[in-house]
Amino acid sequence: MSDQRNHLDDCEIEATLRVFESTEAELLEPPERVWVGIQARLHASEQALKTKTGAVADLSGDLAVVNSVRRGRFAWTALAVAAAVGLVVGLAVVIANLARDDSTRIVASAELGYDQERFDPLGAQARGRADLVERGGRHTVELADASLVSAGADADLEVWLIRPDAQGAVAGLVSLGVIDPDNPTALEVPSGHDPFVYNVVDISIEPRDGEPGHSGRTILRGPLLQT
Amino acid sequence: MAPPSSIHPPLPAFRSSDLNCAGQPRQAGDVLDRNFGGAICYSFLVGLASSIPVDGVEQRFSEGGEAALADAYTLHGKLVYTFCHRTVGASIAEDITQEVFIKAYLSREQFSPDKGSLAGWLMAIARNRIVDHFRSEQRLSRTSPAHDNLEAAPEPRIEQIGDKLMIAEVLRQLPQRVCTVITLHYFDDLTHKQIADRLDMPMGTVKSDLRRGLAQIRHQLESNRE
Repeated sequence: MSDQRNHLDDCEIEATLRVFESTEAELLEPPERVWVGIQARLHASEQALKTKTGAVADLSGDLAVVNSVRRGRFAWTALAVAAAVGLVVGLAVVIANLARDDSTRIVASAELGYDQERFDPLGAQARGRADLVERGGRHTVELADASLVSAGADADLEVWLIRPDAQGAVAGLVSLGVIDPDNPTALEVPSGHDPFVYNVVDISIEPRDGEPGHSGRTILRGPLLQT
Repeated sequence: MAPPSSIHPPLPAFRSSDLNCAGQPRQAGDVLDRNFGGAICYSFLVGLASSIPVDGVEQRFSEGGEAALADAYTLHGKLVYTFCHRTVGASIAEDITQEVFIKAYLSREQFSPDKGSLAGWLMAIARNRIVDHFRSEQRLSRTSPAHDNLEAAPEPRIEQIGDKLMIAEVLRQLPQRVCTVITLHYFDDLTHKQIADRLDMPMGTVKSDLRRGLAQIRHQLESNRE
């Protein structure tokens, strides 16, 4: 907010009062699912923090900051739990999609690019496109025409959606999960995260150290643009 | 967590100073559509969500606890949701409303009841989030012809919508007489003398009530922006 907006004079307030329309003071009742969602999202993020499975990780600040405070050790158990949870969730999504006859359409796509100055050198040979697919009101991110690289023996490739701030820095971040570079699968966008708000696709190299945050080692990134 | 329809703790006993613009004890679902001193009813202020400070809610919110979050949502959920709905539309409003309350809860240590109201703080979070949303959309519009019809500079409109909603909140909390004087003067265009005659009070009191009311509104709006 600019400084001049911090100080109002009475004329400005009076002008607003004089043009007050009756409909402008009426308040709308939010649907009950809004409150239910607040509870669910709050508990989900708290659970993620407690278990450190990396199911959800919202962060503020730039990835460089995230990287600088990164710490942790191997946590195979946590990773196994995360993988199992991911498998179950993935299966549930597949089964749910098979069970319903909803139309499927690509609503946005991101051409994933490599930035030599900011990204991990492993990404230099990588390329690909990420499609945002809508299916029965739910969104998944699916990689297409992708030529990815191996993250190495002790690391995975992980897909994220980023919510950029006004300056294009990272204002929010949500993990969609890890992918097999040779056979990338569809990844569901977590409920409560609007892909038109979290609208930048990011693929990073994540060491298997049990740390749920972004490593800062991005290999590809691109904004989702409506098709 | 307690359901959002409940208030914890129960509403406190009202003091005489707790009478609202309608001359009634302030409570959730408060209604201002009453006659006062022959003043005209202001039906459009009916049905405003109460922002009446439930005993200790603002303090308890800053200290944490999900019950306090439930209270905050009960008191201000409508206000925040309406702000979002009028600026970004119905579908995104739900998402942003959720983000506002989650962000407020997770960063509750930054809220200080001494510096401003909880409603104002929540609305400031909402405003920033809404502006972020439009800026994100504008970035898309630069590369996607599908977004060419997006408003170029929505911030002033967002500010105005938020200001009006907050002014309505302040009006509800003003002392009965001050609220009536404000509404007669600005909504019905009555002169100071006409108001003095209507309410049978000295003209100097009318002027001081107007000043007092404007000062309260200004204080609330400015505190949101600091």
